[in-house]
Amino acid sequence: MSELAEALRDVFREVFDDESIVLADNMTATDIDGWDSLMNINLIIALEGRFGIKFATAEISGLKAKGQNIGTLLKLIASKR
Amino acid sequence: MSNSPSDLNALVERYLSGQGELNASFSELTGRLRRAIADDQVESAASALRRVVAPTMDYTSALSLYKLRRRLADKLHYPAKIRLAILSSFTTAQLEPLLDLFLFASGLETELYVADYGLFRQEILEPSSGLYAFNPSFILIASSWRDLLRRPKLSDTDDTVRVLVEAECSNWAGLWKIAHERLGSQILQNCFDSPPWRQLGNHEMRHPAGFGRFIARVNARLFDAAPPFVTLHDVDHLSASAGRWAWSDERFYHQAKLPCGPAYLVDYAHSVASILSAQAGMGKKCLVLDLDNTLWGGVIGDDGLGGIRLGQGDPESEAFSAFQKYLKALRMRGVILAVCSKNEENTAREVFEKHTEMDLRIEDISCFVANWDDKATNIRRIAERLDIGLNSMVFVDDNPAERAIVRQLLPEVSVPELPADPSGYIWAVEKHRYFQVVSLSGEDLRRTDLYRANEARLGSQSSAQSIDEFLTSLEMVARVAPIDATNLERSVQLINRSNQFNLTTKRYSSGDVLARLSDPTWITRTVSLADRFGDNGLICVLLARLEGEALAIDTWLMSCRVLKRGVELFVLEQLLAMARARGLKRIVGDYIPTPKNALVRDHYRSLGFEQVSAAEDGHTKWELAVDGVDVPPRTHIRLMPERLSAADSNLEGLRK
Repeated sequence: MSELAEALRDVFREVFDDESIVLADNMTATDIDGWDSLMNINLIIALEGRFGIKFATAEISGLKAKGQNIGTLLKLIASKR
Repeated sequence: MSNSPSDLNALVERYLSGQGELNASFSELTGRLRRAIADDQVESAASALRRVVAPTMDYTSALSLYKLRRRLADKLHYPAKIRLAILSSFTTAQLEPLLDLFLFASGLETELYVADYGLFRQEILEPSSGLYAFNPSFILIASSWRDLLRRPKLSDTDDTVRVLVEAECSNWAGLWKIAHERLGSQILQNCFDSPPWRQLGNHEMRHPAGFGRFIARVNARLFDAAPPFVTLHDVDHLSASAGRWAWSDERFYHQAKLPCGPAYLVDYAHSVASILSAQAGMGKKCLVLDLDNTLWGGVIGDDGLGGIRLGQGDPESEAFSAFQKYLKALRMRGVILAVCSKNEENTAREVFEKHTEMDLRIEDISCFVANWDDKATNIRRIAERLDIGLNSMVFVDDNPAERAIVRQLLPEVSVPELPADPSGYIWAVEKHRYFQVVSLSGEDLRRTDLYRANEARLGSQSSAQSIDEFLTSLEMVARVAPIDATNLERSVQLINRSNQFNLTTKRYSSGDVLARLSDPTWITRTVSLADRFGDNGLICVLLARLEGEALAIDTWLMSCRVLKRGVELFVLEQLLAMARARGLKRIVGDYIPTPKNALVRDHYRSLGFEQVSAAEDGHTKWELAVDGVDVPPRTHIRLMPERLSAADSNLEGLRK
């Protein structure tokens, strides 16, 4: 697992308060328990803080959209660093 | 790894003295706290958690601590002291947990109710709403500039805008009035922040219809018009402090209707919690100051009067002076200043007495301790001499080792981190909102003098020959008056702050007290006491109810600075007079034990009351037959005559 993927997993564990979370590229928002719109905001803030990046308005709501998954999120983060 | 509470305490110390939040010591700390909670070490986990919660935390760290707080709440349940309803037109899902966390950290156990998003007017206007079912003691109306109902048009004249301002404000005042009349709640209303963009640019504040100017006028009007049961929460200052563009992170408004960037919700929640806990009497009272490199640059014992750096001419010296001016301003509004320094006392005092650049003078310091004992011991001494709790003290020292020892030995004392640069000292203290002002009374302005006079009285106590002679020598004069407009703020302050000499420890908001003032079955009295050392101000509050042939004492509290002065007997005389004037047969009273009021466990017994009942929890009931009582021995307090009815005319002013 890449360093970035590992850091992303840690952020997910922290935000969702679940040490057992394991991420895979093809996982989507529906695969993570409790990933609602509130948690989406919390996740965005944590990612911005952890990686020193900033998401655009559309990207924030896009995180949970159809066709998006952990793989696309990793690419998005990598493109912003 | 050790799992003992002292190990946890050390971990907290390491974390507090470190930098940043999302660092290794934070994960170690949260992991350790999680284990402590799982192992049922709930008290030490709660105490550690309370200490690490800070307004400067980032949002994600704050939420991590909130999760721990929830785990703790499952195991450790304290009865709620207040019931807080949050009403808002924006999403409060993020604000609520943070507010809960800060209220928990301040020790103010709170039951929260969050109204549905956007329905705050309906919640207040509709008596069948969830708000009324919840019956809050406090309501937070978390408004923002987008909630303003009126906007001036550019063609509007100054007069038209004035009418708009009045209409806007009376709409909000109407909501306050309805909520207060129906629920008796204390209200916390946000004043209005301003959007960072301006239609008129630099002309915004000058043009009669500038929106920024309109908001400023609405705020000023609200601050003027707010009755005692309304506190305006200065969100505009939070926004300005953060920087308006940073504060209004519009992405999150468009995304989730957040009132500001989530990062600033932490400070927002801290600000609200600090006001609520100050209103509940849980704010800090005293700043304990180190001297060398805290109040001036250099070490007085080594560098001498001419060698320490302070005052005009050198940038760092000016920064120390600025900090002293800040502290002096705090002292002027009632924060008690004490000195705790490792120095020879004479050397240390000499700076205050002789250095011409000192803004703080010796008379600004209520308790001066300079010796070579450890600072934890000395801070205990200061607490005893000033008769205040360790948890009402803040210790400011540039030396990390001194901060560490005080944090470890006296976890109740708040110890802010100080930066190496004295230019940052003011912010280092200010950001914690230790000394939130609820209201400013004449008492606050004179507090240092009161505490100093107390020290002088202690001196004369040791030289007086007998306690009788001592009390006579004090030349005490008391004024007795009902609660009225002139003493309402101070009375409510005492009701919410007094812990030790307080028979029932019932807390009432000014709204609660106002309600009792207009109820003819309630009698209120306050006692103020002056002596030859000065005016102690209002030192006793009595609330009593007529119950058949009995006068039932609901609240009897006194300031501890007049203990052992015969005030109790004096107040008993007043109670007897009140009962006799109404033809009552008995005076009844309760003692409800708390961890802090053991002092008055035998209060009623010592005044000749008979114990009627005693519950398992220590709650005792007492009774005194008005006729059977021997006239108590003359107290040493002279009553200053005052027309009791004069106060009644002030009531109308209070009920605006």
